[in-house]
Amino acid sequence: MIELNELVDAAQKAFPADKLSSDRDASWQLMAEMGWLMIRVPEEDGGLGLGREASAAIHYEMGRVLTSAPLMPAQLGLQAIMASGTFADRADWIERICGGEYVPLHLLAALLTPTDDGTLNGTISGVFEADMASAVVASLPHGYALIPLDAEGVSIVERPIWDQSRRMFDVVLDGYRPDPALELADVKASPAMHDVLAPEAHIAIAADCLGGASAALDLTVEYMKMRKQFDRPIAMFQALKHRAADMKTRIAVAEALLWNRVHDDDADIIEFGAMKTLAAEAYAFVTEEMIQLHGGIGLTEEHQSHLFMKRAMLNLHLAGEPDLWKERIGREALAAMR
Amino acid sequence: MTENADLEALRAEVRRFLEAEKPHDWRDASRTQEDFVKTQRDWFAKLVEAGYAIPHWPAAFPGGGRSLAEQKVIYEELAKADCPRLLLSFVSTYHAFATLHECASDEQRAKYLPRILEGETWCQGFSEPGAGSDLAAIKTKAVRETRGGREVYVVNGQKVWSTMAQFADMCLLLVRTSSDGPKQAGITYLLMDMKSPGVSVSPIHQIQGDEEFAEIFLDNVEIPVEQRVGEEGKGWAVAQATLASERGLTLMELSYRMRGALGRVAKLIREYGREDDQGMLRDFGELVAEVDAVCATADRFLDNRIKGIERIGDASIVKNAYSRALRAYSKLGLRIGGVGEQYVAPITFGDLNTGNWMADFMNSYAWTIAGGSEEVQRNIIAERMLEMPREPKNWVL
Repeated sequence: MIELNELVDAAQKAFPADKLSSDRDASWQLMAEMGWLMIRVPEEDGGLGLGREASAAIHYEMGRVLTSAPLMPAQLGLQAIMASGTFADRADWIERICGGEYVPLHLLAALLTPTDDGTLNGTISGVFEADMASAVVASLPHGYALIPLDAEGVSIVERPIWDQSRRMFDVVLDGYRPDPALELADVKASPAMHDVLAPEAHIAIAADCLGGASAALDLTVEYMKMRKQFDRPIAMFQALKHRAADMKTRIAVAEALLWNRVHDDDADIIEFGAMKTLAAEAYAFVTEEMIQLHGGIGLTEEHQSHLFMKRAMLNLHLAGEPDLWKERIGREALAAMR
Repeated sequence: MTENADLEALRAEVRRFLEAEKPHDWRDASRTQEDFVKTQRDWFAKLVEAGYAIPHWPAAFPGGGRSLAEQKVIYEELAKADCPRLLLSFVSTYHAFATLHECASDEQRAKYLPRILEGETWCQGFSEPGAGSDLAAIKTKAVRETRGGREVYVVNGQKVWSTMAQFADMCLLLVRTSSDGPKQAGITYLLMDMKSPGVSVSPIHQIQGDEEFAEIFLDNVEIPVEQRVGEEGKGWAVAQATLASERGLTLMELSYRMRGALGRVAKLIREYGREDDQGMLRDFGELVAEVDAVCATADRFLDNRIKGIERIGDASIVKNAYSRALRAYSKLGLRIGGVGEQYVAPITFGDLNTGNWMADFMNSYAWTIAGGSEEVQRNIIAERMLEMPREPKNWVL
């Protein structure tokens, strides 16, 4: 059994804090070599058999270094395949993915229209690094399925994003005929699969957010101790150090909820959505403050502040908008408190 | 594994006790301060008898000797069952106990600890008009003299923000015995009988109509030297023991109580027909998530303490997170209630989540100001946790 702190130490050695968004393909290869793609795969399926705490800890570390390698969508794609009760080639795909083949889950909506002849038209959004993917796991009108990206009627279109640490694509379907052999969950089994994937997605995104936020705070504090104005480090001014204290508090509170949910087997989807929303909003808050507290240098491309802020702004929208989640939390809580 | 089983057994035992004995009508029975004091005293006596009032005391006392994990279980259950908080006995069972236990003489311990269990009430005479966040700046003066053949300190000065001093029998008093050297060095710690000649107490009328705090005026009060805790001039270190006595249980308890009281906001949303108002649902949802996160934060803090991995500043984070959530909670209620909340309604003493939203809102300020203000907590987080430099000292007016 691998200890959590060993995992974290290894991650910090392999991805040092001072190298942000290091080369995607090299990072991906390193992640595969370190076994991170199989971290959640049960031992009987050839994986490491670790739990949510381990994958969350890795996503947290990768958030800290603004990783450009798509570990999060890869883990979710793999978990969809693992969760399938009907997919005949399950073992084969798991083995391929553990070996480094990239099969992501999309993290934004899929807008697809079935045609009368059984083909699909439309767009699957939020596919990270689709240029290195062999297939994508998508939520289709008839259930979850794998779509090979070299199939007929499938193309990828890059959607340039402000976030420079990642690349995002649309998968465009134009007369694509789904292969029944690649179905992971039919219409009836889809909600159950969604219930498996949603908490995992929320934990992964929240961990990425809070790792990023804590790195952003570290850099900001370091800068404030070094930057001198009026003959003293600006960290000495209460008006500024209090803002750093508030950044720390926001992160600590969101982290407490993250680790609480990671260990809570009874939490429902809305409680996971609440956790992710809190983490994503903390990340946005911290990076907005990061830029302001850096002053002029924070507005320049040469400084890293903007990289954190841009990733935070995109993370807010993954796996459900904050407004949507807040409304759902409110509605649910109201019903429960009748 | 057996440890967990023991904790669950304790939980079941506390639940059984609370189901049978918890007061149901304590809010209605706390409409005047006299009634509040009575409900507090009765409930404390009941908890002492049941063995749940002083779980943090040594095992030599009945109901003492509980681990922090066990204390947490007891407080969780008290909060979930919505029992009255032990406000009146808080200073005596935590602050006075810690001071006596850690710093006092055997004689002092033997004299006072049993009296606390019998319901003796204590207050804290620390803050002064000129010494709030900067506590070491106290000016209340004590001069050692021989009067009537005995050694006494003659004390003159004024204390303020003393919680429920108007009901107290005894006072933990910080006085200045010397003005030489650093301001912390001249402080001495005394135990004062509130019935001593020259002591007068004047309750502070708070903005919500409560009188939770009082001023204490000291006019030539004679305190026997045997009532000193520790050496003369070493009172500052004793005061640290007093202030460190509360081990994070209160904020966990309060956070759980706030979560339990979210139903009051839900009720209000329905009363005003806002169940389908998207904006309202979002704001309520945001509050629910925030309160949930504060509970997780308070919980994690205590767990880290139990494991011995607490860091300096953790307690400040919990306090600031809790007090901001409390403000948000009361403000949402205030907003939904509209002008209706501007008509005066009678307050309930000893509760922070009453559903009397204007009173709750005003009460929430006690949590951002008292016990180390929000700003002092920010300094602690910034300077001791993030290791940012302090402001230069010795600024001269």
